[in-house]
Amino acid sequence: MPGMKMYVGIWFGLVVATIMEVVTRSLPGAISVLALIILLISSGKAIVIAMYYQHLRYEDRRLAILPIAAVVGVIFLAAAAVMSMAMGM
Amino acid sequence: MTENYETLEERKSSFTPLLLAIGIALFFLGLVINFPLAMGGLAIVAFTLLKMFKDNVEEKFADFKESVEERWPLEFLKKEKLGVWVFLMSEILIFGSLIVAYVYVRLLSGSWPVASQIHDVTIGMVNTIILLTSSLAMVYGFHSVRLGNIKGLRIGLLATLALGASFLIIKLGVEWPTYYRNGFTISSGLPGSTYFVLTGLHAAHVAAGLVAVGYLLIRAFNGGFSSSKHSAVENIGLYWHFVDIVWMFLFPLFYLL
Repeated sequence: MPGMKMYVGIWFGLVVATIMEVVTRSLPGAISVLALIILLISSGKAIVIAMYYQHLRYEDRRLAILPIAAVVGVIFLAAAAVMSMAMGM
Repeated sequence: MTENYETLEERKSSFTPLLLAIGIALFFLGLVINFPLAMGGLAIVAFTLLKMFKDNVEEKFADFKESVEERWPLEFLKKEKLGVWVFLMSEILIFGSLIVAYVYVRLLSGSWPVASQIHDVTIGMVNTIILLTSSLAMVYGFHSVRLGNIKGLRIGLLATLALGASFLIIKLGVEWPTYYRNGFTISSGLPGSTYFVLTGLHAAHVAAGLVAVGYLLIRAFNGGFSSSKHSAVENIGLYWHFVDIVWMFLFPLFYLL
């Protein structure tokens, strides 16, 4: 597992990413594009926290089955919502 | 076969999961039909949690031996850690489905107020940084105890507790009263309902996390951890970081977009 120096570096990166999200919102451009960029940054932050602070990166890879299965479940829900919107329900 | 029977004989069973489920059910039922019933449910939950903490301190269920077939295909994981990850799976589904519902409702609504008209981005950003820092403090505590540095563990846990409490104080003591004064409430429409349900559920998780960190702190000051015995720190840390991850999505969804 990494040392404290790396953990502090990760924390700094997460704070910078948070500021980037706020700055991105104030940029000119289509809101859908800005939203996509902001949510991509958020997803990146979440993955970094899971990989390093929850130390998934240093665990047996099979452990990732559990959170990934849950995320796939959420993606199915999102897909169902998109489909129902497309069908005008 | 005989060996299996012996294992069953040795197995220590606990009534706490069942009691916890009953307490939670009574609490939510009571919220709908009868407030004293809700308080009774809450008392059962509190008693059960204390009992679970006590069992954990006494290591009543430590070194539980399970046959390989019971652990397959995750035999590399300790039982407690597997339990935490399965619990986190359910949490991902709870928050994930609520977030999907929020996005669905928002996209289907004809009009939705601009985030900056309701929410203070600066407060949201400060709270995000506070929560990220609390995660770092928790990591510091875990890193310290692995090296046998109990003082570092205590400092890490104390900082986590203080930062988590600060997050809640800002949210419940500063933000929410301002919203209510401005007429943005849980019953003022879909923007209010979705905001208070999601951030309220998240705040409840932070509060539960603070109770758990408080428990770790008590154990840390009573010689409960060492470089070879600290699984509770790791498991509660996993939960704390999960709460952090959820906020990484709630912050942009409510404060920026």
